[in-house]
Amino acid sequence: MAAYIAGDKAAFRELFQRYAPLIQRAMARDLRSPEEANDLVQQTFLHLHRSRLDFEPGRKLKPWIFTIALNLKREHFRRSKRRRETSIEDDRVAEPYEGPRGQERSDASREAARALLMLPAEHREVIELHWFGGLSFPEVAEAVGSTVAAVKVRAHRGYVALRARLGDRALDSESIHEGKSRLEGSK
Amino acid sequence: MDCSQIRDTFVTGAPLSEEHVKEHLASCPQCRELFERNAELGRQLATQASDALPIAVDFFGQIEQKLARETGPRAWLRSRPSRLRFMLVLLPLLLVLTAGGALRQRADFNQYPVPRVVLLLCVYFLAIVLAFGKELFELPRRAAFRDHFGLLAFALAVPVLAAFAPATEASRHADPGGALGCFRYGALLTLPIAALLWAFDRDDRPSVRTVCLSAAALGLSANLLLELHCGNGNAEHVLLGHASLGAAWLAAWLIMRRLSRS
Repeated sequence: MAAYIAGDKAAFRELFQRYAPLIQRAMARDLRSPEEANDLVQQTFLHLHRSRLDFEPGRKLKPWIFTIALNLKREHFRRSKRRRETSIEDDRVAEPYEGPRGQERSDASREAARALLMLPAEHREVIELHWFGGLSFPEVAEAVGSTVAAVKVRAHRGYVALRARLGDRALDSESIHEGKSRLEGSK
Repeated sequence: MDCSQIRDTFVTGAPLSEEHVKEHLASCPQCRELFERNAELGRQLATQASDALPIAVDFFGQIEQKLARETGPRAWLRSRPSRLRFMLVLLPLLLVLTAGGALRQRADFNQYPVPRVVLLLCVYFLAIVLAFGKELFELPRRAAFRDHFGLLAFALAVPVLAAFAPATEASRHADPGGALGCFRYGALLTLPIAALLWAFDRDDRPSVRTVCLSAAALGLSANLLLELHCGNGNAEHVLLGHASLGAAWLAAWLIMRRLSRS
Protein backbone atom coordinates (compact mmCIF):
# COMPACT_ATOMS: atom_id res chain seq x y z
CA MET A 1 0.00 0.00 0.00
CA ALA A 2 2.87 2.33 0.84
CA ALA A 3 4.27 1.75 -2.66
CA TYR A 4 0.88 2.52 -4.19
CA ILE A 5 0.51 5.73 -2.19
CA ALA A 6 3.97 6.69 -3.39
CA GLY A 7 2.70 6.35 -6.98
CA ASP A 8 3.71 2.83 -7.96
CA LYS A 9 0.91 1.71 -10.30
CA ALA A 10 2.08 -1.89 -10.36
CA ALA A 11 1.42 -2.03 -6.62
CA PHE A 12 -2.28 -1.48 -7.32
CA ARG A 13 -2.41 -4.59 -9.49
CA GLU A 14 -0.77 -6.56 -6.70
CA LEU A 15 -3.29 -5.23 -4.18
CA PHE A 16 -6.07 -6.20 -6.55
CA GLN A 17 -4.75 -9.71 -7.09
CA ARG A 18 -4.31 -10.23 -3.38
CA TYR A 19 -7.62 -8.85 -2.10
CA ALA A 20 -10.18 -8.91 -4.94
CA PRO A 21 -10.94 -12.67 -4.69
CA LEU A 22 -11.40 -12.42 -0.90
CA ILE A 23 -13.67 -9.39 -1.14
CA GLN A 24 -15.63 -10.94 -3.97
CA ARG A 25 -16.18 -14.16 -2.03
CA ALA A 26 -17.33 -12.22 1.03
CA MET A 27 -19.61 -10.01 -1.10
CA ALA A 28 -21.10 -12.67 -3.33
CA ARG A 29 -22.78 -14.58 -0.55
CA ASP A 30 -25.37 -11.87 0.06
CA LEU A 31 -25.97 -10.79 -3.49
CA ARG A 32 -28.17 -12.19 -6.17
CA SER A 33 -25.57 -12.46 -8.90
CA PRO A 34 -21.81 -12.48 -9.44
CA GLU A 35 -22.26 -9.32 -11.54
CA GLU A 36 -23.50 -7.41 -8.50
CA ALA A 37 -20.59 -8.73 -6.47
CA ASN A 38 -18.12 -7.78 -9.21
CA ASP A 39 -19.58 -4.29 -9.38
CA LEU A 40 -19.12 -3.83 -5.64
CA VAL A 41 -15.56 -5.16 -5.83
CA GLN A 42 -14.84 -2.57 -8.55
CA GLN A 43 -16.34 0.17 -6.41
CA THR A 44 -14.28 -0.99 -3.44
CA PHE A 45 -11.06 -0.55 -5.38
CA LEU A 46 -12.23 2.78 -6.77
CA HIS A 47 -12.88 3.94 -3.20
CA LEU A 48 -9.54 2.53 -2.14
CA HIS A 49 -7.94 4.75 -4.76
CA ARG A 50 -9.92 7.81 -3.62
CA SER A 51 -9.22 7.16 0.06
CA ARG A 52 -5.60 6.05 -0.30
CA LEU A 53 -4.23 9.14 1.44
CA ASP A 54 -6.39 8.34 4.48
CA PHE A 55 -4.51 5.11 5.01
CA GLU A 56 -2.21 5.43 8.00
CA PRO A 57 1.18 3.74 7.61
CA GLY A 58 1.62 0.90 10.06
CA ARG A 59 -2.06 0.08 10.05
CA LYS A 60 -3.28 -3.27 8.75
CA LEU A 61 -4.52 -3.00 5.19
CA LYS A 62 -6.87 -5.98 5.09
CA PRO A 63 -9.40 -4.75 7.69
CA TRP A 64 -9.22 -1.28 6.15
CA ILE A 65 -10.17 -2.54 2.69
CA PHE A 66 -12.90 -4.70 4.15
CA THR A 67 -14.35 -1.70 6.02
CA ILE A 68 -14.64 0.10 2.68
CA ALA A 69 -16.20 -2.99 1.10
CA LEU A 70 -18.69 -3.44 3.94
CA ASN A 71 -19.72 0.20 3.79
CA LEU A 72 -20.36 -0.13 0.07
CA LYS A 73 -22.31 -3.35 0.55
CA ARG A 74 -24.53 -1.75 3.20
CA GLU A 75 -25.06 1.24 0.92
CA HIS A 76 -25.96 -1.14 -1.90
CA PHE A 77 -28.62 -2.80 0.25
CA ARG A 78 -29.98 0.55 1.39
CA ARG A 79 -30.19 1.68 -2.21
CA SER A 80 -31.87 -1.43 -3.50
CA LYS A 81 -34.16 -1.42 -0.45
CA ARG A 82 -33.92 -5.14 -0.18
CA ARG A 83 -33.07 -4.97 3.47
CA ARG A 84 -32.04 -8.59 3.50
CA GLU A 85 -29.51 -7.79 6.18
CA THR A 86 -32.18 -7.38 8.78
CA SER A 87 -34.14 -10.50 7.96
CA ILE A 88 -33.87 -13.47 10.27
CA GLU A 89 -36.57 -15.89 9.34
CA ASP A 90 -37.48 -14.39 6.02
CA ASP A 91 -39.00 -16.78 3.51
CA ARG A 92 -38.26 -14.33 0.75
CA VAL A 93 -34.51 -14.77 1.22
CA ALA A 94 -32.98 -15.40 -2.17
CA GLU A 95 -31.00 -18.53 -2.90
CA PRO A 96 -27.35 -17.90 -2.10
CA TYR A 97 -24.99 -17.63 -5.02
CA GLU A 98 -23.34 -21.00 -5.20
CA GLY A 99 -20.30 -20.52 -7.33
CA PRO A 100 -19.06 -22.73 -10.14
CA ARG A 101 -19.40 -25.85 -8.06
CA GLY A 102 -23.05 -25.14 -7.38
CA GLN A 103 -24.29 -28.06 -9.47
CA GLU A 104 -22.05 -30.50 -7.70
CA ARG A 105 -22.97 -29.35 -4.26
CA SER A 106 -24.64 -31.67 -1.88
CA ASP A 107 -27.99 -30.84 -0.35
CA ALA A 108 -26.23 -30.52 3.00
CA SER A 109 -23.90 -27.85 1.71
CA ARG A 110 -26.76 -26.00 0.05
CA GLU A 111 -28.69 -26.13 3.30
CA ALA A 112 -25.69 -24.80 5.22
CA ALA A 113 -25.39 -21.87 2.80
CA ARG A 114 -29.06 -21.11 3.27
CA ALA A 115 -28.82 -21.41 7.04
CA LEU A 116 -25.95 -18.95 7.00
CA LEU A 117 -27.97 -16.51 4.95
CA MET A 118 -30.78 -16.64 7.47
CA LEU A 119 -28.61 -15.63 10.40
CA PRO A 120 -29.03 -12.12 11.84
CA ALA A 121 -26.84 -9.71 9.88
CA GLU A 122 -24.45 -8.96 12.72
CA HIS A 123 -23.72 -12.64 13.32
CA ARG A 124 -23.46 -13.52 9.66
CA GLU A 125 -21.18 -10.59 8.89
CA VAL A 126 -18.60 -11.74 11.42
CA ILE A 127 -18.68 -15.37 10.28
CA GLU A 128 -18.42 -14.40 6.60
CA LEU A 129 -15.50 -12.07 7.17
CA HIS A 130 -13.67 -14.70 9.20
CA TRP A 131 -14.32 -17.66 6.92
CA PHE A 132 -14.72 -16.20 3.44
CA GLY A 133 -12.73 -12.98 3.78
CA GLY A 134 -9.93 -14.76 5.60
CA LEU A 135 -9.76 -12.19 8.41
CA SER A 136 -8.68 -13.08 11.93
CA PHE A 137 -11.05 -12.06 14.73
CA PRO A 138 -8.96 -8.98 15.67
CA GLU A 139 -9.07 -7.96 11.97
CA VAL A 140 -12.83 -8.58 11.83
CA ALA A 141 -13.21 -6.38 14.92
CA GLU A 142 -11.27 -3.60 13.20
CA ALA A 143 -13.26 -3.95 9.99
CA VAL A 144 -16.67 -3.77 11.67
CA GLY A 145 -15.63 -1.15 14.24
CA SER A 146 -16.11 -3.35 17.31
CA THR A 147 -14.07 -5.12 19.97
CA VAL A 148 -12.50 -8.56 19.60
CA ALA A 149 -14.56 -9.87 22.52
CA ALA A 150 -17.82 -8.62 20.99
CA VAL A 151 -16.94 -10.09 17.62
CA LYS A 152 -16.17 -13.47 19.19
CA VAL A 153 -19.49 -13.43 21.01
CA ARG A 154 -21.26 -12.69 17.72
CA ALA A 155 -19.40 -15.53 15.99
CA HIS A 156 -20.24 -17.91 18.82
CA ARG A 157 -23.94 -17.05 18.70
CA GLY A 158 -23.89 -17.43 14.93
CA TYR A 159 -22.23 -20.85 15.16
CA VAL A 160 -24.73 -22.01 17.78
CA ALA A 161 -27.64 -20.89 15.60
CA LEU A 162 -26.10 -22.53 12.53
CA ARG A 163 -25.55 -25.78 14.37
CA ALA A 164 -29.10 -25.70 15.62
CA ARG A 165 -30.37 -25.30 12.07
CA LEU A 166 -28.08 -27.95 10.66
CA GLY A 167 -28.95 -30.22 13.58
CA ASP A 168 -32.66 -29.79 12.89
CA ARG A 169 -32.06 -30.70 9.29
CA ALA A 170 -30.04 -33.76 10.30
CA LEU A 171 -32.77 -34.78 12.73
CA ASP A 172 -35.40 -34.30 10.04
CA SER A 173 -33.65 -36.59 7.59
CA GLU A 174 -32.95 -39.13 10.35
CA SER A 175 -36.60 -39.24 11.39
CA ILE A 176 -37.71 -39.58 7.75
CA HIS A 177 -35.29 -42.43 7.31
CA GLU A 178 -36.46 -44.00 10.58
CA GLY A 179 -40.08 -43.61 9.53
CA LYS A 180 -39.41 -45.28 6.21
CA SER A 181 -37.66 -48.20 7.93
CA ARG A 182 -40.61 -48.65 10.28
CA LEU A 183 -43.04 -48.58 7.39
CA GLU A 184 -41.00 -51.17 5.49
CA GLY A 185 -40.75 -53.30 8.64
CA SER A 186 -44.51 -53.29 9.18
CA LYS A 187 -45.19 -54.51 5.65
CA MET B 1 -2.66 -21.23 18.33
CA ASP B 2 -5.60 -19.01 17.42
CA CYS B 3 -9.03 -19.30 15.77
CA SER B 4 -7.59 -18.44 12.33
CA GLN B 5 -5.34 -21.48 12.41
CA ILE B 6 -8.29 -23.69 13.27
CA ARG B 7 -10.20 -22.20 10.32
CA ASP B 8 -7.22 -22.69 8.01
CA THR B 9 -6.98 -26.32 9.06
CA PHE B 10 -10.58 -26.87 8.01
CA VAL B 11 -10.18 -24.97 4.73
CA THR B 12 -6.75 -26.12 3.58
CA GLY B 13 -6.31 -29.26 5.60
CA ALA B 14 -3.11 -27.92 7.14
CA PRO B 15 -1.96 -30.33 9.82
CA LEU B 16 -2.16 -29.30 13.46
CA SER B 17 -0.99 -31.12 16.53
CA GLU B 18 -3.89 -32.66 18.38
CA GLU B 19 -2.51 -31.44 21.66
CA HIS B 20 -2.50 -27.80 20.48
CA VAL B 21 -6.03 -28.10 19.13
CA LYS B 22 -7.28 -29.51 22.42
CA GLU B 23 -5.53 -26.76 24.32
CA HIS B 24 -7.16 -24.11 22.13
CA LEU B 25 -10.62 -25.67 22.30
CA ALA B 26 -10.44 -25.74 26.07
CA SER B 27 -10.40 -21.96 26.12
CA CYS B 28 -12.37 -21.12 22.95
CA PRO B 29 -16.14 -21.75 23.01
CA GLN B 30 -16.68 -20.58 19.42
CA CYS B 31 -14.15 -23.03 17.95
CA ARG B 32 -15.65 -25.80 20.06
CA GLU B 33 -18.90 -25.28 18.17
CA LEU B 34 -17.08 -26.03 14.91
CA PHE B 35 -15.98 -29.43 16.19
CA GLU B 36 -19.34 -30.53 17.60
CA ARG B 37 -21.20 -33.40 15.90
CA ASN B 38 -18.15 -34.79 14.17
CA ALA B 39 -17.04 -31.25 13.14
CA GLU B 40 -20.03 -30.89 10.83
CA LEU B 41 -20.19 -27.11 11.04
CA GLY B 42 -16.46 -26.63 10.49
CA ARG B 43 -16.56 -28.87 7.44
CA GLN B 44 -19.62 -27.18 5.98
CA LEU B 45 -18.14 -23.71 6.36
CA ALA B 46 -14.83 -24.90 4.92
CA THR B 47 -16.57 -26.28 1.83
CA GLN B 48 -18.04 -22.88 1.14
CA ALA B 49 -14.89 -20.96 2.00
CA SER B 50 -12.89 -22.92 -0.56
CA ASP B 51 -15.24 -22.05 -3.42
CA ALA B 52 -13.50 -19.89 -6.00
CA LEU B 53 -15.80 -17.49 -7.80
CA PRO B 54 -15.39 -16.53 -11.45
CA ILE B 55 -13.58 -13.26 -12.02
CA ALA B 56 -14.16 -11.77 -15.47
CA VAL B 57 -11.12 -11.88 -17.73
CA ASP B 58 -10.95 -8.13 -18.16
CA PHE B 59 -12.02 -7.29 -14.62
CA PHE B 60 -8.81 -5.50 -13.70
CA GLY B 61 -8.81 -3.72 -17.08
CA GLN B 62 -12.26 -2.30 -16.32
CA ILE B 63 -11.04 -0.92 -12.99
CA GLU B 64 -7.97 0.56 -14.69
CA GLN B 65 -10.27 2.28 -17.19
CA LYS B 66 -12.31 3.80 -14.37
CA LEU B 67 -9.17 4.91 -12.58
CA ALA B 68 -7.91 6.54 -15.78
CA ARG B 69 -11.00 8.77 -15.68
CA GLU B 70 -10.12 9.95 -12.17
CA THR B 71 -8.59 13.20 -13.32
CA GLY B 72 -9.44 16.86 -12.89
CA PRO B 73 -10.07 19.10 -9.89
CA ARG B 74 -12.89 17.01 -8.38
CA ALA B 75 -10.83 13.81 -8.51
CA TRP B 76 -7.98 15.67 -6.83
CA LEU B 77 -10.22 17.17 -4.13
CA ARG B 78 -12.06 13.97 -3.25
CA SER B 79 -8.81 12.03 -2.90
CA ARG B 80 -7.37 14.42 -0.29
CA PRO B 81 -7.06 12.99 3.23
CA SER B 82 -10.28 13.26 5.25
CA ARG B 83 -8.72 15.58 7.84
CA LEU B 84 -7.71 18.00 5.10
CA ARG B 85 -11.14 17.82 3.44
CA PHE B 86 -12.70 18.55 6.82
CA MET B 87 -10.48 21.59 7.32
CA LEU B 88 -11.06 22.73 3.74
CA VAL B 89 -14.80 22.82 4.45
CA LEU B 90 -14.58 24.40 7.89
CA LEU B 91 -12.16 27.13 6.85
CA PRO B 92 -14.40 28.74 4.20
CA LEU B 93 -17.33 28.31 6.57
CA LEU B 94 -15.50 30.25 9.25
CA LEU B 95 -14.62 32.90 6.66
CA VAL B 96 -18.24 33.13 5.57
CA LEU B 97 -19.43 33.31 9.18
CA THR B 98 -16.89 36.01 9.97
CA ALA B 99 -17.56 38.05 6.85
CA GLY B 100 -21.29 37.51 6.53
CA GLY B 101 -22.19 37.26 10.17
CA ALA B 102 -19.76 38.77 12.60
CA LEU B 103 -18.68 41.75 10.50
CA ARG B 104 -22.24 42.63 9.61
CA GLN B 105 -23.39 41.90 13.10
CA ARG B 106 -26.91 42.73 14.19
CA ALA B 107 -27.27 45.89 16.22
CA ASP B 108 -29.34 44.36 19.01
CA PHE B 109 -26.85 41.66 20.00
CA ASN B 110 -25.75 43.50 23.11
CA GLN B 111 -29.32 43.44 24.43
CA TYR B 112 -29.26 39.66 24.79
CA PRO B 113 -27.93 37.88 27.84
CA VAL B 114 -24.39 36.77 27.02
CA PRO B 115 -24.86 33.11 28.19
CA ARG B 116 -27.85 32.71 25.86
CA VAL B 117 -25.91 33.99 22.85
CA VAL B 118 -22.81 31.93 23.65
CA LEU B 119 -24.88 28.78 24.27
CA LEU B 120 -26.85 29.15 21.06
CA LEU B 121 -23.74 29.80 18.95
CA CYS B 122 -21.90 26.86 20.55
CA VAL B 123 -24.80 24.47 19.97
CA TYR B 124 -25.01 25.52 16.34
CA PHE B 125 -21.28 25.27 15.78
CA LEU B 126 -20.92 21.87 17.46
CA ALA B 127 -23.78 20.46 15.43
CA ILE B 128 -22.20 21.83 12.24
CA VAL B 129 -18.80 20.33 13.07
CA LEU B 130 -20.48 17.01 13.89
CA ALA B 131 -22.40 16.95 10.62
CA PHE B 132 -19.36 17.85 8.50
CA GLY B 133 -17.17 15.40 10.42
CA LYS B 134 -19.61 12.53 10.01
CA GLU B 135 -19.95 13.19 6.33
CA LEU B 136 -16.29 13.62 5.48
CA PHE B 137 -14.72 10.89 7.62
CA GLU B 138 -15.56 7.72 5.79
CA LEU B 139 -14.16 5.18 8.21
CA PRO B 140 -14.91 3.36 10.42
CA ARG B 141 -18.30 1.87 9.81
CA ARG B 142 -20.78 4.14 8.12
CA ALA B 143 -23.97 4.42 10.06
CA ALA B 144 -27.36 3.89 8.49
CA PHE B 145 -29.65 6.72 7.50
CA ARG B 146 -31.73 6.31 10.66
CA ASP B 147 -28.61 6.98 12.76
CA HIS B 148 -28.19 10.35 11.09
CA PHE B 149 -31.87 11.17 11.20
CA GLY B 150 -31.45 12.61 14.70
CA LEU B 151 -28.88 15.09 13.46
CA LEU B 152 -31.07 16.11 10.53
CA ALA B 153 -34.10 16.45 12.81
CA PHE B 154 -31.99 18.55 15.16
CA ALA B 155 -30.84 20.75 12.27
CA LEU B 156 -34.41 21.29 11.14
CA ALA B 157 -35.88 21.73 14.61
CA VAL B 158 -33.35 24.05 16.29
CA PRO B 159 -34.00 27.01 13.98
CA VAL B 160 -37.73 26.45 14.48
CA LEU B 161 -37.24 26.46 18.25
CA ALA B 162 -35.04 29.53 17.95
CA ALA B 163 -37.95 31.28 16.25
CA PHE B 164 -39.92 30.92 19.46
CA ALA B 165 -37.02 31.42 21.89
CA PRO B 166 -37.22 34.51 24.09
CA ALA B 167 -36.03 37.53 22.13
CA THR B 168 -36.07 41.21 22.95
CA GLU B 169 -39.50 42.74 22.82
CA ALA B 170 -38.46 45.04 19.99
CA SER B 171 -37.25 42.23 17.75
CA ARG B 172 -40.21 40.00 18.62
CA HIS B 173 -42.64 42.62 17.34
CA ALA B 174 -40.57 43.52 14.30
CA ASP B 175 -42.06 43.58 10.82
CA PRO B 176 -42.04 40.03 9.39
CA GLY B 177 -41.02 41.39 5.98
CA GLY B 178 -37.57 40.76 4.51
CA ALA B 179 -37.80 36.97 4.95
CA LEU B 180 -36.98 36.40 1.29
CA GLY B 181 -33.92 38.62 1.60
CA CYS B 182 -32.67 36.58 4.57
CA PHE B 183 -33.36 33.32 2.72
CA ARG B 184 -31.37 34.53 -0.31
CA TYR B 185 -28.53 35.80 1.89
CA GLY B 186 -28.26 32.48 3.78
CA ALA B 187 -28.54 30.36 0.65
CA LEU B 188 -26.02 32.40 -1.32
CA LEU B 189 -23.37 32.42 1.38
CA THR B 190 -23.64 28.67 2.03
CA LEU B 191 -23.62 27.83 -1.69
CA PRO B 192 -19.79 27.62 -1.88
CA ILE B 193 -19.80 25.24 1.08
CA ALA B 194 -22.39 23.09 -0.70
CA ALA B 195 -20.20 23.04 -3.81
CA LEU B 196 -17.23 21.92 -1.71
CA LEU B 197 -19.26 19.15 -0.08
CA TRP B 198 -20.34 17.91 -3.49
CA ALA B 199 -16.74 18.00 -4.76
CA PHE B 200 -15.44 16.14 -1.71
CA ASP B 201 -18.02 13.34 -1.84
CA ARG B 202 -16.27 10.10 -2.76
CA ASP B 203 -19.48 8.39 -3.86
CA ASP B 204 -20.42 8.90 -7.49
CA ARG B 205 -24.07 9.17 -6.51
CA PRO B 206 -24.89 10.99 -3.25
CA SER B 207 -26.10 8.49 -0.69
CA VAL B 208 -29.03 9.14 1.68
CA ARG B 209 -26.40 9.61 4.35
CA THR B 210 -24.72 12.35 2.29
CA VAL B 211 -28.06 13.98 1.59
CA CYS B 212 -28.96 13.94 5.28
CA LEU B 213 -25.66 15.19 6.64
CA SER B 214 -25.12 17.80 3.93
CA ALA B 215 -28.59 19.25 4.43
CA ALA B 216 -28.09 19.28 8.21
CA ALA B 217 -24.68 20.96 7.99
CA LEU B 218 -25.75 23.53 5.40
CA GLY B 219 -29.05 24.31 7.11
CA LEU B 220 -27.32 24.85 10.44
CA SER B 221 -24.55 26.93 8.85
CA ALA B 222 -27.08 29.18 7.13
CA ASN B 223 -29.04 29.60 10.36
CA LEU B 224 -25.95 30.35 12.41
CA LEU B 225 -24.99 32.94 9.82
CA LEU B 226 -28.42 34.55 9.96
CA GLU B 227 -28.47 34.34 13.75
CA LEU B 228 -25.37 36.52 13.72
CA HIS B 229 -26.62 38.81 11.00
CA CYS B 230 -30.35 39.35 11.32
CA GLY B 231 -31.96 40.99 14.32
CA ASN B 232 -35.53 40.31 13.29
CA GLY B 233 -36.96 37.97 15.94
CA ASN B 234 -40.45 37.86 14.52
CA ALA B 235 -41.46 34.21 14.50
CA GLU B 236 -42.99 34.36 11.02
CA HIS B 237 -39.86 35.99 9.62
CA VAL B 238 -37.51 33.47 11.27
CA LEU B 239 -39.56 30.48 10.13
CA LEU B 240 -39.87 31.65 6.52
CA GLY B 241 -36.48 33.29 6.05
CA HIS B 242 -34.17 31.28 8.34
CA ALA B 243 -35.56 27.91 9.42
CA SER B 244 -36.75 27.04 5.91
CA LEU B 245 -33.13 26.97 4.70
CA GLY B 246 -32.54 23.51 6.20
CA ALA B 247 -35.54 22.11 4.36
CA ALA B 248 -34.47 23.95 1.18
CA TRP B 249 -30.99 22.39 1.29
CA LEU B 250 -32.55 18.99 1.94
CA ALA B 251 -34.75 19.41 -1.14
CA ALA B 252 -31.77 20.60 -3.21
CA TRP B 253 -29.68 17.53 -2.28
CA LEU B 254 -32.57 15.17 -2.97
CA ILE B 255 -33.00 16.73 -6.42
CA MET B 256 -29.26 16.37 -7.08
CA ARG B 257 -29.45 12.76 -6.02
CA ARG B 258 -32.37 12.11 -8.33
CA LEU B 259 -30.57 13.83 -11.23
CA SER B 260 -27.37 11.87 -10.70
CA ARG B 261 -29.37 8.63 -10.71
CA SER B 262 -30.99 9.39 -14.02
